[in-house]
Amino acid sequence: MALVSFARSSIARLALLHGLLIAVSMMAVLGGVYLGTSRLIAAEGDQLIALEAQGLAEDFRERDLDAFVTVVVDRAEDPWVRGGVYELRNEHGDFLAGNVVVLPDLALQAGGWAEFDVAVTRGDANASRRIRAKVVELGGGYRLLVGHDVQDRRTFRAVMLRSLAWAVLVTLLFGVLGGLWLGRRISRTAQAISASAGRIAAGNLGERLPLSGSGDELDALVARFNELLGRVESLTMTMRAVLDSTAHDLRGHLNRIRGAAQDARRLAADAAATAAGDAVLAEIDRLSETLQGLLRIALAESGTAPLEDIDLSAVAEDLAEFYQPAGEPGQLSVAIEPGLVVHGHRQLLAQALSNLLDNALKYGRGSPVRLALARAGGRARLEVVDRGPGIPATQRGLATQRFRRLPGSSGLPGSGLGLSLVAAVARLHQAELELGDADPGLRVVLSVPLAPPAN
Amino acid sequence: MKILLVEDDRRASEYLVKGLRELGHVVEQAFDGESGLKAAETGSYDVLVLDRMLPKLDGLEIVKRLRGSGSSVPILILSALDEVDERIQGLRAGGDDYLAKPYHLEELAARLDALARRQGEAGFAAKLKIADLELDARARRVTRAGRKIELTAREFQLLEFLMRHAGQVVTRTMILEGVWDYHFDPKTNVIDVHISRLRQAIDKGFERQLLHTVRGAGYTLSEDP
Repeated sequence: MALVSFARSSIARLALLHGLLIAVSMMAVLGGVYLGTSRLIAAEGDQLIALEAQGLAEDFRERDLDAFVTVVVDRAEDPWVRGGVYELRNEHGDFLAGNVVVLPDLALQAGGWAEFDVAVTRGDANASRRIRAKVVELGGGYRLLVGHDVQDRRTFRAVMLRSLAWAVLVTLLFGVLGGLWLGRRISRTAQAISASAGRIAAGNLGERLPLSGSGDELDALVARFNELLGRVESLTMTMRAVLDSTAHDLRGHLNRIRGAAQDARRLAADAAATAAGDAVLAEIDRLSETLQGLLRIALAESGTAPLEDIDLSAVAEDLAEFYQPAGEPGQLSVAIEPGLVVHGHRQLLAQALSNLLDNALKYGRGSPVRLALARAGGRARLEVVDRGPGIPATQRGLATQRFRRLPGSSGLPGSGLGLSLVAAVARLHQAELELGDADPGLRVVLSVPLAPPAN
Repeated sequence: MKILLVEDDRRASEYLVKGLRELGHVVEQAFDGESGLKAAETGSYDVLVLDRMLPKLDGLEIVKRLRGSGSSVPILILSALDEVDERIQGLRAGGDDYLAKPYHLEELAARLDALARRQGEAGFAAKLKIADLELDARARRVTRAGRKIELTAREFQLLEFLMRHAGQVVTRTMILEGVWDYHFDPKTNVIDVHISRLRQAIDKGFERQLLHTVRGAGYTLSEDP
């Protein structure tokens, strides 16, 4: 699995590219050396042949024919000592001297050059030797072939080609392996950063990445990342502290106001004063409720709420059982898959689900409400569906904003914070919240990632 | 009962003391952590009410020190901090109950009653009895006038909770916490419906009603109306 995902990663592609580039440049260098060397050897060999042919042509002009034939016969006597082959023919094409018989059928290239193989018997072994030769016109129709054994040249070329192929192969191998090693190193660091960022996003703000201590660029990057984390942590802590102290202050004030109002109501002299006191107390309670809703949203949004593995199925069962008697008999239908564990905050998830069920029962106005929880991919899919008026598609985006209440809901109790809290709890759990059309009615889907199985 | 209130917010303290005294309790006050701890160590109280954040010595620290020195006096922590996770901290430190500000006087009084009673009981009895209503927690059996009453598991838990607080007022949030272990705020009157179902089961057909609604506060299970 890890190998497959690695092969798909950009690191693997880089490693392969790295290996290929090294191999191609190696091939270019060695190829150049090969071509240069073999050209040089060929040119030197050709020069020797041409010089000998030229010398013999001069001999032919200076001596008489018999003496020249003797020279050719002498040289041809033991051709494999110097590696030379010779063949002399007159104007009629008759063979006069030499150690090979090839001239009549020989196809000549520009400048009279030709190459051919000659079978040689040395001891008991039969071998084929490659010969490169030049044919010169000696004048009067006489033709002389002067050739040298170039078999060694060929062997050298083959050996060189083989070495080159091996060198390229080995380079490719080391290039790719080196690239992979480097890539794995970078990839591991990238994965560590990614995993760490995930845990930090999930609320573990104290986490830092380990430094390798090598002091290289990767370490510098990791150090920078840690610096950034420190900053994020301190900002979040500051925000949390401000939130806590503000909340503390507001709650303190509200508490004193409530105490005073309760005192006043107790001392009320007549029914009108009592009613006024009750009204004040009710308003204070509504205000407290709103404050608490906002604080719970802030708690969820701050990402500092402690999460643990909890059985979402059990929470859903509890809530279903709790809300069962709230509506008409049979109004709430429930289908819960057991044993779905998520990494979450039990109380906040319960509050979110409670808000959804409250809403469904309130806006559904007696119509059937369905609560379903099932595994879907790597997520626990929690669904609350009512058959009420629903939320028009254009309003759904606004529904999760704070203090946003739907048109036509003014007669119903509520603070306008219910769905914003659900949205905040969803973000805390990296869950997807989707408001859809149940045609008619509202379908709210909360998809919470399942906790990895504990081993 | 005798209550020690440690609260640095003097005005809030004043209203609370007044309210508790009107309910017939004896209340002594301290206004910072150090004097609060001293009073708790030297005096004899049925229950302590501590603010979570106090000058000189933090409320949680007082709880830890008292528990460290072997004191088992019931402690209720009052807090203006967010209640969801602070509650857990307060209870872990050794507090017995936790109430967020702003609170209702009735809620606080009901919880203090429950705390003082729990202390007096010395553990949980398995068999509970009010008038002719009997509950056997171990056998999970309920009878009224000798006749067996069938209850769902949750109704049984609810009745057990009410019987353990018999004669006291229990509030809706106390019920949600004590029976369901949740702290969310149901916007609907679901708890009332659960109670009326239980009432149907245990009181229907009997002359003497045991489960009563206390206006503005909650419910009580008692022989006297």
